Amino acid sequence: MLVRINLMTVCSFTIIKYNMKKTIKIISLTLGVGLVIAIAVAYYMFNMPKRDVQSAKTDFSVSSTDIVNEYLADAALANAKYLQEEGDSKILAITGTVVSISEDLNNQKVILLKNSGDKAGVSCTFTAETNQNTEHLQIGQTVKVKGVIRSGAGFDEDLDLYEDVILEKCDLVSK
Amino acid sequence: MKKVSVIAVVFAIVSLYAFKPLADKLVSKDGHISFFSHTALEDITANNYKVVSTLDKTTGDVVFSVPMQSFEFEKALMQKHFNSNKFLDTKKHPKAKFTGKIGNLGDIDFSKDGTYTATVTGNLDIKGETKVLNEKATISVEGEKVTLDSKMTIVLADYGITFSGGKPSTNIAKEVEVTVKSIYAKQ
Repeated sequence: MLVRINLMTVCSFTIIKYNMKKTIKIISLTLGVGLVIAIAVAYYMFNMPKRDVQSAKTDFSVSSTDIVNEYLADAALANAKYLQEEGDSKILAITGTVVSISEDLNNQKVILLKNSGDKAGVSCTFTAETNQNTEHLQIGQTVKVKGVIRSGAGFDEDLDLYEDVILEKCDLVSK
Repeated sequence: MKKVSVIAVVFAIVSLYAFKPLADKLVSKDGHISFFSHTALEDITANNYKVVSTLDKTTGDVVFSVPMQSFEFEKALMQKHFNSNKFLDTKKHPKAKFTGKIGNLGDIDFSKDGTYTATVTGNLDIKGETKVLNEKATISVEGEKVTLDSKMTIVLADYGITFSGGKPSTNIAKEVEVTVKSIYAKQ
């Protein structure tokens, strides 16, 4: 009789022990997988790829005249429409006349689009990858340029001149 | 006789305006501003090539306008943090501005090639906070080309940029080193 009880106790203990082992295994497995995911996410966040402006969809297609006038009419309203928090501002395709072609201190091509009679234009900075696409461009030509807006146009009293809309990460858009 | 003097006065006024030299104001749309933050944990650099600046050779007025979203970081996440409303809030404050004056204008000869040291005093406005800056700049004259170089330290807390906790508080220096370069051409 006593032996039987003992045997039963041992048996049930074994079951509990077995169950506990299983539970611990599940818990540690879950924790392990969670940790791997957390590290992967942290790693991704840290090495987050930069925004690929040219592959992203165009938010607005406007002429250089229209966007300059929108800014001159109400800069706050235009900023609310085009600028985004965290700097991922709207991607624009701007059509306008090429009035100057230059190079900045980072060897990036800068194309100023400005239609005659406008107070300001759109300054488009290309990238190391897209620079060569500007080679055939000529002053006076009408082109369409896609890029991300960084800041708007406006008259600055201290500079005593009109500032252009700034577009960066640019490339030409073939029509 | 009266007529002659009227003509003379008109001529004098007209010529005053005509000779009020517009060309004295130099404009730069070709510049570079970078900042560098160093801590034991991390070095952070950002570059901006869209600074617009003017330099008036007769009054000594110097102005810089910096589009804040044009700062490019090595890491995309840093750039997001920089622009976010916790730090520079660039949607609300898209531009930073410096308006100042060269104190020792007499020491700089814009008509003679050379390198001159200028003392510049003025107001720097970042994120709606204005602080007085007193810095040295190097002005190089090379024919028609005028280049301004300067290096300064900016205390982030002066402009309401503070980090209370987390990674930014340990990885971003409290003072950052800012380097400015502008190449001016005649307007």
